[in-house]
Parts: sequence; C-alpha cells; structure tokens
Amino acid sequence: MKNTIKVERAKNNITQAKLAELANVTRQTINAMELGKYAPSTILSLKLASIFKVDISEIFTLEESDWD
Amino acid sequence: MKLNYLFPSKYKKIGWIIFYPTLIFGLITVIFDIEPEFLDVNVFGVFIDEIIGEKKLIGIINNNILNEILGLLMIIGSILVAFSKEVDEDEFISKIRLESLVWATYMNFGILFLAFIFVYDLSFLWVMIFNMFTILIFFIIRFNWQIRKFRKIEEI
Repeated sequence: MKNTIKVERAKNNITQAKLAELANVTRQTINAMELGKYAPSTILSLKLASIFKVDISEIFTLEESDWD
Repeated sequence: MKLNYLFPSKYKKIGWIIFYPTLIFGLITVIFDIEPEFLDVNVFGVFIDEIIGEKKLIGIINNNILNEILGLLMIIGSILVAFSKEVDEDEFISKIRLESLVWATYMNFGILFLAFIFVYDLSFLWVMIFNMFTILIFFIIRFNWQIRKFRKIEEI
C-alpha cells in the first residue's frame, strides 16, 4: 500500500511529531508509515484522513503486490 | 477495540523491581542448592507423590517453600514487565509486541526441541525448570531491544 502522508504533511505544514500528537500515536509510527514499513489500522487511516480533511483514498492507494 | 489484555504502564517498573532481584537470587539458590531450614513448612498439596512416601490426591506435606516463593515472584515480575503497556503504546508498538512474542515462542520451543533430542535424565529436568521461565525472558529481551531500536528512529 502506498500513501501520501508525507505530501499531505507538507501541504499542511506539520511535522511528524505534530501529526503523531494529533493522531495519538508515536512519531516513529508516522515515520514507519511514510517509509511504507507499516500499514496502519482502519481507525488510524480514518483519523489521518480526518486530520488532513481529505478522503481516505486520497492518502492510501493499493499496489499490485497487495493482491498477492 | 480498546481491549488488549495489557497492564497499565506504571506496572512495568514494579515488574522490573521484582524481576531482577528474583532472577539473580533464584539463579544463586539453584546453583548453590540453597534451602534454608526456617522455610521447611507443612503445606497443603494436591496430587501428592513423594519419592519416599505415599501417594495421595490431597493432603499435607513438608516442603521447603523457597523455590515456590521465587517461582511465583518470577512469574509475577516477568508477566508485569512483559505485559505492561509502554507509556506511549500505539498500534505499531502492539505489532512489535506480537512479533516479539512469536519470536520468543519459536526460540523457546526450538531450544526445547533440541533438548528433547540431546538432553536426558536429570539434565532434562533442568531444561524443563528453565524452560518454564525462558519464554517470557526471551520475549522481554526481544521486545525491549526492538523498542529501543524503534525509539532511535530519527525524524525525517
């Protein structure tokens, strides 16, 4: 799964630490998601969409390998 | 969704305070075979089968309770250390927790597997005694090591 968290963060001009605080997770979790090392839960994904005020599918998109 | 069977984070410190002294003292008593006389007491037991003595379903037996005390403290200490939340527990930490538990289970039973093949008689009894506690100890080592690595991740 690909995501545009880093892009959304830049658009909104907020740091990883600030986003972590808003979503109530650790900064390292935000970092791991941005690097594609961690696929968040549905709840966290929805929280991020809500924080960035965009549709969830604008942040997260499936990759071909996700179907394997 | 909030159910996770973990203790509040403050219990981790209490766990460490119980865990370390019990581990050290426990190893000392095992190595030097310490059984202080004042801890020889009559206790209630079930499924009694003494080496020299009778077999009973329930009854009173004389036993040195030092190993019982240390065993119980070891369980309490290691459970609290292993299963208290991190201060900032989130879903990624839960993932690390789960992976560490799987790893520790493989390690523990991997060692037991080899012990079944290569270790016999009284030596195997020692393996069984240690194996009771090693699954949690392996988990504690793995999880805390992974968490330490996790916390070192720099902001980018």
